[in-house]
Amino acid sequence: MSIVKEFTKGLWKEIPPFRLVLGLCPTLAVTKTASDGMGMGAAVIFVLVLSNVIISLVRKIIPKKVRIACFIVIAASLVVSVELLMQAYAYPLYQSLGIFVPLIVVNCIILGRAEAFAAKNPVLMSAADGLGMGIGFTLSLTFLGALREIFGYGKLFGSAVFGPAFKPFTFMVEAPGAFVCLGLILAAMNYLAIWQSKRAGLPEPAIAASCGGCRACAIGESKQIVEG
Amino acid sequence: MDYFLMLISAIFVNNILLAQYLGNCPFLGCSKEKGVAFGMGAAVIFVAVMATAFTWIMQKWVLEPYGLGYLQTLVFILVIAALVQFVEMFLKKMVPPLYKALGIFLPLITTNCAVLGIAILVQRKEFGLGMSLYYSFVASLGFTLALMLMAGIRERLVIARLPKSLQGTSIGLVMAGLMSLTFFAFKGMIE
Amino acid sequence: MILQSLLVMLGLGLACSAVLAVASKLLAVEEDPRVEAVLEALPGANCGGCGFAGCESYAAAAVNDPNVPADRCCAGGAGTAAKVAALTGKAAGSAEPMVAFRRCAKTEGNVKKLYDYQGVPSCAAAKQLGSPDACGYSCIGLGDCMRACPFDAMYMAHGMVHVIREKCTACGNCVRTCPNHIMEIVPQAARVMVLCSSQDKGKAVTDVCDAGCISCMKCVKECPAKCIKLEGGVIRIDHAACIAYGPECQEVCAEKCPRSILRRLGATAEAHAHAHVEPQAEKEAVA
Repeated sequence: MSIVKEFTKGLWKEIPPFRLVLGLCPTLAVTKTASDGMGMGAAVIFVLVLSNVIISLVRKIIPKKVRIACFIVIAASLVVSVELLMQAYAYPLYQSLGIFVPLIVVNCIILGRAEAFAAKNPVLMSAADGLGMGIGFTLSLTFLGALREIFGYGKLFGSAVFGPAFKPFTFMVEAPGAFVCLGLILAAMNYLAIWQSKRAGLPEPAIAASCGGCRACAIGESKQIVEG
Repeated sequence: MDYFLMLISAIFVNNILLAQYLGNCPFLGCSKEKGVAFGMGAAVIFVAVMATAFTWIMQKWVLEPYGLGYLQTLVFILVIAALVQFVEMFLKKMVPPLYKALGIFLPLITTNCAVLGIAILVQRKEFGLGMSLYYSFVASLGFTLALMLMAGIRERLVIARLPKSLQGTSIGLVMAGLMSLTFFAFKGMIE
Repeated sequence: MILQSLLVMLGLGLACSAVLAVASKLLAVEEDPRVEAVLEALPGANCGGCGFAGCESYAAAAVNDPNVPADRCCAGGAGTAAKVAALTGKAAGSAEPMVAFRRCAKTEGNVKKLYDYQGVPSCAAAKQLGSPDACGYSCIGLGDCMRACPFDAMYMAHGMVHVIREKCTACGNCVRTCPNHIMEIVPQAARVMVLCSSQDKGKAVTDVCDAGCISCMKCVKECPAKCIKLEGGVIRIDHAACIAYGPECQEVCAEKCPRSILRRLGATAEAHAHAHVEPQAEKEAVA
């Protein structure tokens, strides 16, 4: 496993919201415009890389029983710093992201990567994994944001793309549009994966299930998730 | 705001799941059976109300007097995590039947954005304690309603003929979009 | 400011951990470690074949209730029963190995279709519109039982379900699922069985099916062990009594069945076939 591989897997093969189906709440909520999505992505990159690094550093000290609690505290501290940084340097973005900045702490990506990767791997690998996943997350958010912005407002990054005759398709920027768009993108990703492996003569891949990595929703595995 | 208006608003118009996008992981993860969905919903109602009470007290009695508002996120998640753990132990000892019904869902709830989201939302809206508790109750009621509806639809979806790439989460999200569109119709009720 | 926030977090952390530490002592629940051990010995399919809600509730019952036998898990079979018995200090006993059985022979009987069902591929859904077959007690053949089977022990062929006896653990999920109630759990050693579940009277059966049971009562009268009965319009065989009686009767019930729908099964059928073939072979040899 090379560092490059850890980094690139987050960009396509295991791109968080589309293939791992992690962190759906912000993916749906803050993608009204491409720039919002990008800003959210940047905040997540910051938290994810640092939390992966810190957790990887202290992974041998943390007792197994309270590890999730420790992960949450580490992530929460980082989220607080992101909040303060955004308030200082990017206040308009902070306002448009609203409640979803503090909610990064319960984003499945952070805990999912901490539990699935950083808690088992050395620092550099974890940093590469965090960066890859973070950038993958940002790309997906920007893509979804751009899609919704183009059709919902007729703009991209704030500048008009269609002529004045264009009637904005309001459905796209409202909640239903977010759900339907993400659902169809997931379907497209599944279709692509099936088509690819069919061409390569491999058996059909598993369809992406919700919350692939965070386990927080895996009923019956609650025994392993001990808080406090 | 009128209490009744708040009820309608929180359950239908600004449904926490379908209009505010909070708690999507359990929405897609725990909506395969109605029984599971109901358990999850009940657990969220229970924990959200308790968490709102405790975090409200922390905010007003500790954070604000000392000017530590910026620690909100950190303090809230800690309080919620400890609370969930405590509630789990308490129920196990004192109310075993309730623990049997909700037990497996409790540890999953710490990282549920709906719970933390409601706790932070009531602070941002600057509600009093009574109003906060009421809001957290009706908002999580709306969450349960959406979850139950989704589970009902998905139980039917299992036997539908779907293209392979649309199966699972994908069609779940599209269904959520259509439900969200339906809930959109309630928007005219409150202006 | 730094000091203040440090103090608050430290205080909060201490308070939370103190409360939890005290609570974990005060509210500690004595958990029986045996339950967990039993749970681990079980296959964990949560099939419900034991009659409990899932593996966990069976484990709890097996440990705490002296009346619950150790061999209830049909999915795990004898190996699991021995483990559970060792863990709970109960006699393993020998659970009679059972298997699921389809009580329908609609392809042989040329049962006509009432209509061409094109809806959702599910027996339960088709049944809502009335059974698509002319017989209301046939295998609809849309595979609800196959999907309910946790062990992949069923497959669909020629419009009917077939049980793979080697894989079947007799958990009974198919019995509970089938909307026409044509599946039955019988001992693997069962000697004879009726391939029809129709509760209709003879005329109604002959109208729709060339093979179905017409409740003529021949088998009931012929059985020397009196272990065949007509209950609710369906022939029921007391397999335990039938096996206990032994091969002496030469399966006279199957012999006398005018519709040949009560049939010999498994080893008995083979032995019978041999018994018929061998004298002939001898004759030929003599000739």
